[in-house]
Amino acid sequence: MDKSTIVCRCEEINIDEIETAIKYGAETFDDIKRLTRCGMGPCQSKNCIGPVNEIIANNTGKQLKDLPLTRMRIPVKPIKMKVLVTDIENSSIASVLAESVDEDGDNR
Amino acid sequence: MKKFDVIIIGSGVVGSSIAYHLSEYKEHEILLIDKDFPLSGTSGSTQAWVWVHTKVPSWYGELSLYSAELYPILEKKIGDVEYNRTGGIAPFFNEAEREKAYRLAEKQAEVGIDIKVLTKDEVLEMEPYLSSKIAGATFSKLDGTVNPFRLVELYVKAARKNGVKTSYYNRVLDIVKSGNGYQVKTERGTFLTTKLILAGGPWSKDLGELLGVHIPIKQVRGQIIITEPLQPFLKYTIGGIRQTVNGEVLIGYSKEEVGYDRRTTLDVIQQTAKMAIDFIPALAEANIVRTFAGIRVMPLDELPILGQIPGLPGAFIAAMHSGITLSPIVGTLMAELLTEGETSLDITRYSLSRF
Repeated sequence: MDKSTIVCRCEEINIDEIETAIKYGAETFDDIKRLTRCGMGPCQSKNCIGPVNEIIANNTGKQLKDLPLTRMRIPVKPIKMKVLVTDIENSSIASVLAESVDEDGDNR
Repeated sequence: MKKFDVIIIGSGVVGSSIAYHLSEYKEHEILLIDKDFPLSGTSGSTQAWVWVHTKVPSWYGELSLYSAELYPILEKKIGDVEYNRTGGIAPFFNEAEREKAYRLAEKQAEVGIDIKVLTKDEVLEMEPYLSSKIAGATFSKLDGTVNPFRLVELYVKAARKNGVKTSYYNRVLDIVKSGNGYQVKTERGTFLTTKLILAGGPWSKDLGELLGVHIPIKQVRGQIIITEPLQPFLKYTIGGIRQTVNGEVLIGYSKEEVGYDRRTTLDVIQQTAKMAIDFIPALAEANIVRTFAGIRVMPLDELPILGQIPGLPGAFIAAMHSGITLSPIVGTLMAELLTEGETSLDITRYSLSRF
């Protein structure tokens, strides 16, 4: 395979970029992800986790079975924001301004 | 045993910035250690606002202001960190809060932070996608955002270029006072150093214990939603929401004390989605691609802990919330302190000795 072969199709990251991250010191898929955006797109690494771990194994001499998988998060596939709020009345998330001025009055 | 002038424990945004700024003097042999890898902790799980205007008390706002002012210069030196001074809007939904907003503006004006208190119409004219249910907002031109991944990566690259050694995936197991310095025992050997800086973020407490020092901080989990990339439609950084350069919208302002547990939970994500739609109704139709959570460090009085560790000559700490905002000024000041023994801005208010 050519160094310019795309590994992460969502974010268009090629082998060369992944190997550059490994040279910087990255040891896991998630290290590489944060340096290159590989795996940050809509498929959330479902396509690239395998090939990337292979590239890590080839470059570091580690066994494929010893490499950690990526951290999976909600949602498994993209869902609309509104789907999450069907049974929520009020948000309990603090507001930036209220937090600044409410807590101890004006003496903070 | 390998000997260094300075060992920095923690290669997040704060530790990496200190390493870089200290390396600019080219006077010290520096080792930067991390138990994991840069961006695996707090600095890689943030919305990365460079946020100034609601930071109180005003002298803390002032420190944040000076740090924001350093970003354009920093970017010239270490490379493009996507610093974007968008201006920041902190909306309020209740007319009763307007009075408080004016009080905040008055206090912050004393240190040169210019805040406008906007009417609903003014806010909606500036940021048309905000909800018509808001009552108003505070606004400042000083706030913005940065790409945290680029920022930490480039701090480390620039530091290495100046000769800083890095040792990652290397947990510090013990720290022992030794003569004029410290012995730092790690998974990959023991190092001697004259000066030691704890920059472990939420893990600073554990590092302090190795030295027998109590670091009064809490761990606070923040959960964040990321949407699919959308057309650029948010001009400003909104308190709780930002749109990145590539179009994704990040939403979240939750705070939970659950130790080091950084899972995302459906209940808080649902609350965060509600907040998103309350602020920007059109986000109801946006696809969520991912959620994430980070553990933030929160000093008990919420203000940075910075400077020498009392009673331990040569040992220093830099532990703070808002490390992204503060990293340029904190790196600058800590480099001054270690090189010249004093700082150009007075940091005694931030001393660990206040607790």
